[in-house]
Amino acid sequence: MTARDRILAAIRASLPTPRPAQDAIAAEAAALLDAPATTRPPLAAPTLAGAFAAKATALGTTIDAVPDMAAVPDAVRRYLAAQGLTASIALQPAAALSDLDWTGIETHAGIAPDEAAALGVADWGIAESGSLVVHSGPQTPVLLSFLPLHHLVVLHETALLPHLEDYASRITGAPQPRNAILITGPSGTTDIEGSYVRGAHGPGFLHVILVTSTG
Amino acid sequence: MSAKPHPRVGLFVTCLVDAIRPQIGFAAIQLLEEAGCIVEVPAAQTCCGQPAFNSGDDADAAHLARQTIAAFEGLDHVVLPSGSCAATMVHGYPELLADDPDWAARARAFAARTHEITSFLVDVMGYRPQGRRLDASATYHDSCSGLRDLGVAAQPRAMLAEIEGLQMHGLEGNDVCCGFGGTFCVKYAPISNAIVTEKAEAIERSGADLLLAGDLGCLMNMAGKLHRRGAATRCFHTIEVLAGRADGPAIGEEA
Amino acid sequence: MSHPKPQPSFKARAGAALADPTLKLAIDRTTGTAERKRAAAVAAFPEFDAARARGKAIKDHVIAHLDHYLETFERNAIASGAKVHWAADDAEARAIVTRICLDAKARLVTRAKSMLGEEIGLPHALADAGIERVETDLAEHIIQLAGEAPSHIIWPAMHRTREQVAELFKAGHHPPPTADDPATMVQSARRELRAKFLGADIGISGANFLVADTGATCTVTNEGNAELTTTPPRIHIVTAGIEKLVPSTAHAFALLRLLVRSATGGELTQYTTFHCGPKRPGDADGPEEMHIVLVDNGRSRMLGDEFREMLRCIRCGACMNHCVVYRQIGGHAYGGTYPGPMGAVLTPVLDGLAGSRDLPHACTMNGRCAEVCPVGIPIPTLLRAWRVRSWREGLEPGVMRAGIGIWAMLARRPALYRLATRLALPVLRLFGRRGWIGSLPLAGGWTAHRDLPHPPGRSFMDQYRDQQAKKGAGQ
Repeated sequence: MTARDRILAAIRASLPTPRPAQDAIAAEAAALLDAPATTRPPLAAPTLAGAFAAKATALGTTIDAVPDMAAVPDAVRRYLAAQGLTASIALQPAAALSDLDWTGIETHAGIAPDEAAALGVADWGIAESGSLVVHSGPQTPVLLSFLPLHHLVVLHETALLPHLEDYASRITGAPQPRNAILITGPSGTTDIEGSYVRGAHGPGFLHVILVTSTG
Repeated sequence: MSAKPHPRVGLFVTCLVDAIRPQIGFAAIQLLEEAGCIVEVPAAQTCCGQPAFNSGDDADAAHLARQTIAAFEGLDHVVLPSGSCAATMVHGYPELLADDPDWAARARAFAARTHEITSFLVDVMGYRPQGRRLDASATYHDSCSGLRDLGVAAQPRAMLAEIEGLQMHGLEGNDVCCGFGGTFCVKYAPISNAIVTEKAEAIERSGADLLLAGDLGCLMNMAGKLHRRGAATRCFHTIEVLAGRADGPAIGEEA
Repeated sequence: MSHPKPQPSFKARAGAALADPTLKLAIDRTTGTAERKRAAAVAAFPEFDAARARGKAIKDHVIAHLDHYLETFERNAIASGAKVHWAADDAEARAIVTRICLDAKARLVTRAKSMLGEEIGLPHALADAGIERVETDLAEHIIQLAGEAPSHIIWPAMHRTREQVAELFKAGHHPPPTADDPATMVQSARRELRAKFLGADIGISGANFLVADTGATCTVTNEGNAELTTTPPRIHIVTAGIEKLVPSTAHAFALLRLLVRSATGGELTQYTTFHCGPKRPGDADGPEEMHIVLVDNGRSRMLGDEFREMLRCIRCGACMNHCVVYRQIGGHAYGGTYPGPMGAVLTPVLDGLAGSRDLPHACTMNGRCAEVCPVGIPIPTLLRAWRVRSWREGLEPGVMRAGIGIWAMLARRPALYRLATRLALPVLRLFGRRGWIGSLPLAGGWTAHRDLPHPPGRSFMDQYRDQQAKKGAGQ
């Protein structure tokens, strides 16, 4: 017998027979998600943007709202200048970003191990927790979210979802990416005496550029 | 509230109160009678069996469970001046006798009419002490079994609030174990000592004259540590104070 | 056994821990903060109790259908391109991981903290196979430099003060950190590990959840080290216990809300990442191979015995942060992979009861662990179940059995018990003075540390009988 067979046999030996039908199990699992509002925290503010901002800023994420995508390069320039960084940034290789007018800012596609700043686009934002969701893909390297010290993220207000379950229902049945990443604040650690330090291995700074246009 | 204004109540005095501090037993009888109960003290009682239960000796624990259930048969309620002994009866007895066809139902019925005394006085009898006065400050330790297994928290405090002149001080870590744990305190004495040392420090910081609690085991542990440290804190079972008996010797004081 | 058995007894280890004031300071700093932050997080989540009931029900559901969910997960993981391996015990798990590493001719392996990896003895196995292993979680990095095992499941290096960490980093980092404040030391570790992340041949992680309906594994970290461990290398290996399954991503979220609040007092960790198969064709980065090792190691046995409820455990560490014993002796004294109350339940499962019978006994049964458990595990009940087994299997020391035996013999005979009390009390009164006994034969465990109140001359039952007799005579 393989280990697989032995493990499954040992498990079945302790469970009632006959084993329940798959659809009965599925119904039971679905019932465990009923009335989610009774088992999750309410949003921190009446609007999705307000709730997202309340949670995200409490974690040290900074937010700059801009009216449309065309205003993103200026927001990046503002941020880099305010942080005392040179006007240079690694861009996620997505047309939505590379097509913008980056006059005055050096942009590049590769991400250096000690990259100072990188800009990406979030697939969704989650109001409940102030999280950004990034799916890996051909135009979305995972490391763009982890190597830079300053991680800048474009988030469309229209991509805000109320709760974690709303994101889960968006991806149910869809092809899964290699990585689906929920980013909730800058990297941090409390491993030395419980004292909180930012920028453990991932970005020490997380800056959201919230695009408020509905277009 | 109880259906009967004068229920027949069996007092299980507990082995520690029997041997170490009989005053607590007499305070219990006094309060129960003030509350309108007819109190009986069945002679066939010894120990609830907790030392065996917590040592994994289920055979002896089950024997004592049957003996105790039989001794208190026919009474409306069983009342104990101890949260941990009461919890043994309320939760332990049905568990011990669950597979015994002759005793499982009796154990469940017994558990249903068994109560820790302060919760019985307040929740079942609607009792509040009247006309009691004690010019002192006190702090209260929530003994773990009473608090977590039986929900004893508000009841003793509600009754203590009725005593004129008694100032209650908060206790840092009031719901943290004192390190007694029955046989734990002798089997793992150095660990128990470290725990009760922190407890004694918190009690001393509270600045209260008196330490009150609802379990004599915990009280002996804390009082013994406070005395060893030379602290002036005096220790009483909550019901001694409620019965107006705090003018006598505290735990460890000679009459 | 995966770890070399700690030589000194539990009592000796606990004694050494109690004698170490630096350790106590370190424990208090971390567990104190964790306790406060958890309380605040729960207070800010009024639905916590309902969420806890739901979380418990989700875990119970998975356990009741574990065969179904394992097969579903396996099917979906394979469909995503991952390779799934099954290991019945720790030795099989070590062999599978080592074999993958050797086949890949791996020289450098990075690892993101996984208690299951510790449970199966992976660090030693990799060393034995001549593979360089770099721990990337900051705390695991600290204890790797110190050559130690974790002392807490969330904060493995919580027994180390900042001063001690500074010494380790000064010796182990090139260049050494320039100061010993936590921020400077964290920057130093960031610099030190960066090249390792990018140069590793294989990255090994654990999983907080295995999502059955997608075949994804889920890691939660605050540092970002898991993704830096699992993305650059050519191969990503996941080792996970079979109890980590959840039906779907939404079920994982319901448990995450409980896990993070209970562990650190946060709402979500900074990074919650689902890893589903290797990199897709055209993906910008990611591993070419993903291996998932499903580890039983005693779990299927727990399913059939009195420890089944322990399979609900989501490894948050709240039980140890709230345990009076853990907070005095720390994690290493427990001697197993998992310390504290949950460890006292699990270590006898993993390492055998004979060598760990002290753990379920070294507990006051105060119930605070069960009170804070986010999935409602009745830990004291499970610890008592071990005590019952230990008694039944004759593992209890003879003096203990004899003591309980004599006491029970008397307690089972009320008249004899009365007589014994009547005889014993006056004898006890011969000891001590002015109300207190400071030293008593056979009670040294008590009187070494505290005084014993003098008993009265006569028991309550005797005094009560006299009173009743007087009342009867007066009537």
